[in-house]
Amino acid sequence: MKTTILEKDGELIAVFEGRLDTAAAVETEQALKPLYDCTGHNIVFDCNKLEYISSSGLRLLLGVLKNAKPKGSRVFLTGINDDLRTVFAMTGFTNLFEFK
Amino acid sequence: MTLTLKNDIQDVPLLATFIDEVCETAGFNPSVTMQMNLAMEEAVVNVMNYAYPKGVQGDIVIEAEENGDSVRFVIIDGGTPFDPTAEADADTTLSAEERPIGGLGIFLVRQLMDTISYEYTDGKNRLTLVKNK
Repeated sequence: MKTTILEKDGELIAVFEGRLDTAAAVETEQALKPLYDCTGHNIVFDCNKLEYISSSGLRLLLGVLKNAKPKGSRVFLTGINDDLRTVFAMTGFTNLFEFK
Repeated sequence: MTLTLKNDIQDVPLLATFIDEVCETAGFNPSVTMQMNLAMEEAVVNVMNYAYPKGVQGDIVIEAEENGDSVRFVIIDGGTPFDPTAEADADTTLSAEERPIGGLGIFLVRQLMDTISYEYTDGKNRLTLVKNK
């Protein structure tokens, strides 16, 4: 599982590649730390190459969102495949995030 | 088919390989296979986190049996009696600020599996999850 953080057009982008299972969530949490310093930026999770996510991964996304909202940053998800969209819908996460 | 894991999160990828094999044998499509991976990971990780006292290494055995109508998974451990089916579901209608960070694991198991049952027999926790074909 690879996480890359980029800054582009004023947005902080986290690009996921692989399976975000409980084992991968440990190192991914560290990789997402730059997103906690998001004042003045929106955040985008690029999920085009995200093959799988379990509750540990969903928790990481929620953690970023809980930090971002009071700072006025919007959080977007892009490139979610249908299987992942089902998981997001089931857990109510489609109501928490913006999709583009 | 049987798999034995340690109560160590780093063993989770071994579970994925096993579940993929079982699902392929059962003829599940990729979407259902992903859902089985998710449900089993959530159930097994719960056992990894809670069954044995902190610092104690323990085994978790996963049995998978396929018949014409369904696939049955049994997760067996020798830890403290723990019934995950007694845990409350997460409230998925809460806003981001209100959502607690935990509670999704057993919720996903319930959503994705057709039957869940638990028993404590002969000193072992046994959690049985069934997916109908």
